Amino acid sequence: MGIKIDALKCINCMACEMACSYHRDDGFAFLSACIVVYRAREKQDYFGVLIKEEEFLKVARPEGLEVNRIGEAADPNKKADASVKPMLLREGCDLCEDMDDYGPMCIAICPVDAITLE
Amino acid sequence: MEYLSTDKILVIDLATSKIEETALDESLVSEKIGGAGITKHLYEKHLNDDPIVIGTGLLTGTTCPASASGLITAKSPVTGKMCHCPVIYKVGIEIKFSGYDYIVVKGVSDKPVYLWIHDGVADISDASGIWGKDVWESTDSLRKFMGDDLLQTMMIGKAGENRSDYAQICYNYWSSPDRFGLGKLFGSKKLKALAFRGMGLIEVADHENFVRRSLEILKEIKTNDFMTKKGIAEIASAMGEAGVEEWLEPIVHRHSADYFTPYATNTAVFLDEDPKRVEESKVAEPGVLISDVLALLAFKKLGLSAEDAGRALKACAKYGIDPAAVAELSGKSSLKEIVDSFDGLSGTVTLKGKGSFSPWCPLKPIFNDFGLSGDAAEAEAWWERRQAVAMIFGIQPIFSVMCPELSEENMLELAAIGTELDLTQEILDRVVADLLK
Amino acid sequence: MNLYQSNADINIKLPQGKAGYISKGNTDIRISGVPDPECRRMRYPRIGIYAGSGTSHSWLWFVDMFERMGFHAVSVLDAPAVRSGRLQQMDVLAVSGGDTVAIAEALGEDGARQLAAFITGGGVYLGACAGAYLVMNSSKPHLCHFNFAAVKITNLSKRLPTCQSMPHKFSIAYGCEHIFHPVREAVGLRLTGVPPFSGEPALLVPLYGGPGMLAPPEAQVLARYDHFTDKTVFLVDKDLAEETLISTAAALRVPMGNGQMYLFGPHFEHPHYHRANRLVADAVYWDSRRNPDECSPVARDALQLPTSESANLIHSLRRELSNSRIVAAGLEMFPVWWLIGAKAYEPEKIRVFLDAMWRRLKPLEKRGRIWARAGVPDLLMADACETTSLLRQLKNELDQGSVTDPTARTLFHLLHRNTMRFFELYFQTISNNLTP
Repeated sequence: MGIKIDALKCINCMACEMACSYHRDDGFAFLSACIVVYRAREKQDYFGVLIKEEEFLKVARPEGLEVNRIGEAADPNKKADASVKPMLLREGCDLCEDMDDYGPMCIAICPVDAITLE
Repeated sequence: MEYLSTDKILVIDLATSKIEETALDESLVSEKIGGAGITKHLYEKHLNDDPIVIGTGLLTGTTCPASASGLITAKSPVTGKMCHCPVIYKVGIEIKFSGYDYIVVKGVSDKPVYLWIHDGVADISDASGIWGKDVWESTDSLRKFMGDDLLQTMMIGKAGENRSDYAQICYNYWSSPDRFGLGKLFGSKKLKALAFRGMGLIEVADHENFVRRSLEILKEIKTNDFMTKKGIAEIASAMGEAGVEEWLEPIVHRHSADYFTPYATNTAVFLDEDPKRVEESKVAEPGVLISDVLALLAFKKLGLSAEDAGRALKACAKYGIDPAAVAELSGKSSLKEIVDSFDGLSGTVTLKGKGSFSPWCPLKPIFNDFGLSGDAAEAEAWWERRQAVAMIFGIQPIFSVMCPELSEENMLELAAIGTELDLTQEILDRVVADLLK
Repeated sequence: MNLYQSNADINIKLPQGKAGYISKGNTDIRISGVPDPECRRMRYPRIGIYAGSGTSHSWLWFVDMFERMGFHAVSVLDAPAVRSGRLQQMDVLAVSGGDTVAIAEALGEDGARQLAAFITGGGVYLGACAGAYLVMNSSKPHLCHFNFAAVKITNLSKRLPTCQSMPHKFSIAYGCEHIFHPVREAVGLRLTGVPPFSGEPALLVPLYGGPGMLAPPEAQVLARYDHFTDKTVFLVDKDLAEETLISTAAALRVPMGNGQMYLFGPHFEHPHYHRANRLVADAVYWDSRRNPDECSPVARDALQLPTSESANLIHSLRRELSNSRIVAAGLEMFPVWWLIGAKAYEPEKIRVFLDAMWRRLKPLEKRGRIWARAGVPDLLMADACETTSLLRQLKNELDQGSVTDPTARTLFHLLHRNTMRFFELYFQTISNNLTP
């Protein structure tokens, strides 16, 4: 069981990032999230979602899902971007195991249902 | 103020370079709630120094749906009156996370400066390196210098530097709700920009209850038909403007939302790249992000193609000028003539509404009728109040006119849960009345 | 609930001269104000944390752990400080993870002599991961000066097994052989009940590169590797991982002269593992037995800054650390890492150093006036500004696809140095202004 992200449905609202960080910090912030909206290419209107799991980093790009085992070397031919192993020191997704009422917070809060459970 | 707050008000005097911080008193929140209620209070307090007051709503940056907005309160060069201009995209929330609830900028600098607001620190920095550059170059330049691609900015371009009456403050690269010529005010203070970034944490009094109620409200919102729609053309259609979707569709790339706003109010169009491209574009500046439905419609009505309307909007955003004013005052129907009209644009624009809130937000309900009868005066009064409430709590203004579930009662309830203050409808009515008088 | 509160309470009383005693109860270590026949008198220990050349960021875990438990007489030591005899002013020395050979090289023969004198004189040595490997017998250059414990390691092989994951974290050459790391992350241990480790026999701890150990006769096994968990990441075949680690020693207590060495394969000091942290504290109380008269007093060359200078320093530090953190947060999205010495450094580790300082600014502010050695505040600020500048340079180099290794090396060196400097000032301030 894991988190599934439809990057083309995503509207780049960052609610998932906030909810995930809330799950860790019990306050509103962004820094502790294991799910992050990648939005650094603002002029290119290029955005997607990354989620760090225990062993894998899933990168939901508009052009498709990329699943990388954490720690494997990055493709040297690829320009630095949201790729192989960011967020290494953040805690991996625990599917909000302590949030009995909601299940994973990112799913509960996504307004456009771009995040689901697989 | 312990909750939903950074507990800090910043006062910057550009004339003396003096920077002061004060705490946000809980009593002020109990009396004025937040957002426009408090920016107006601070504006009046510093009135003699022609202040620009930047702030966030009480719910900005929380799990309250559409809690995306900040605002700028200042005297409008267009109307000569105090106005409240929404701060949208992700800029509004960044203000709060950068460590301040409210920022008062007063006085006039003797040289170009920008303000760097980060993690509860405020720096007045030399802007000579970006003064004279357009909005896009300047934003790129600051982001590169700071080493941060997510830096959020309020920026003026040449229009503001040249003190055009219709100079607009842009947010990051994009046009903004500024119909009030606030770019001119920035320029007259030699204030090129504010840049925000912060990694703070906002505490909530009863966080479990706050999040639970937020998600319940979201669930209600998701029953709306508008949840199947996206983007600016659908807003235009809902306003009764025919043919906009077909006109714009060939250049639409993607739609995006302001922070946690369930409807994607912004549409990116690609002008120099295949709009259907899903991979990251290799073109440095493939298009423009549009949030201003009325300016888009105004260019369409001048007879521009969608692509030329997009190019006009992009040029306005770079120059830092209000596209709606350009469309109205230039009266031109070719892209070149429109762009050539930026310098020396003059005349009187029509600003709908009473001048306190930005008519960038359509002055009618969208997608839902909110139980209005269709009477024009009733609709105007409803819109003014709806905008006031949005600007108090920090709600995305366009979403506030499409979503009845985001009711005053719900916002008050969340504010009370989040702060443990006794915030009642009577207090809200009083604050709104004060804003509307 | 603050899980460290009981330790913090004790550590408020001990420096005030109040007596505390530690003894082995029926099921757990017992700490009391009243002595019993089997008890040991507790001391408020002076703790050195080695953070010099060769260490990774994990020395900050010891800082976190000791601070939360109220051990505030902490000095952060580099290799010259160890070589020059600063250890002799300590009761405890903690050495965490990093590049063992680089640590040994930095300390050198003089450092080894100082360390041996410290332990045989009654000091407590806490070695986790690289800190454990350091003092094991070896014939290899640099390490050969630190032959203090005849411990054998089980994750040593002439033929490197097949790596299944994380190749850059998998192994390091050890002469003609290889030290390999069978697993990473949380593993299950079983305590043997030998004091001072007691209480619930099962325990979870994180293992990153530490050894499986076979104890020499004089050593006591305090805990053994017992099982893997659903958080364990296997870098080799699971059967080989079991064969290499399960039932081997994960924590040892090895005597040396009048002192004791605690050798930990996993990181008992990791800040997320509170129970393991408590065991380390118990070890410190249990074996900190140096007579205070035998030790030189802690150097008291720090001066108290005036109020306005203190406030200005904190404000300036906040500005620069914020500037640095903002760039560092963005770097987390870059798929890049750097090999510095024998260790892999990812951009995320930059933030570990910066955040360690950042989150202490408010507590420092609450303490009022700052204590620091002359010149330290200026050096601290100069390095903080340089850190921001290097981070921005690194970001631009990454954007342009340029080679970043030289900048990264300089940056981590600077971060390391300035974080050490910060903690010197920090602990001097909080131990001199005990009441916030």
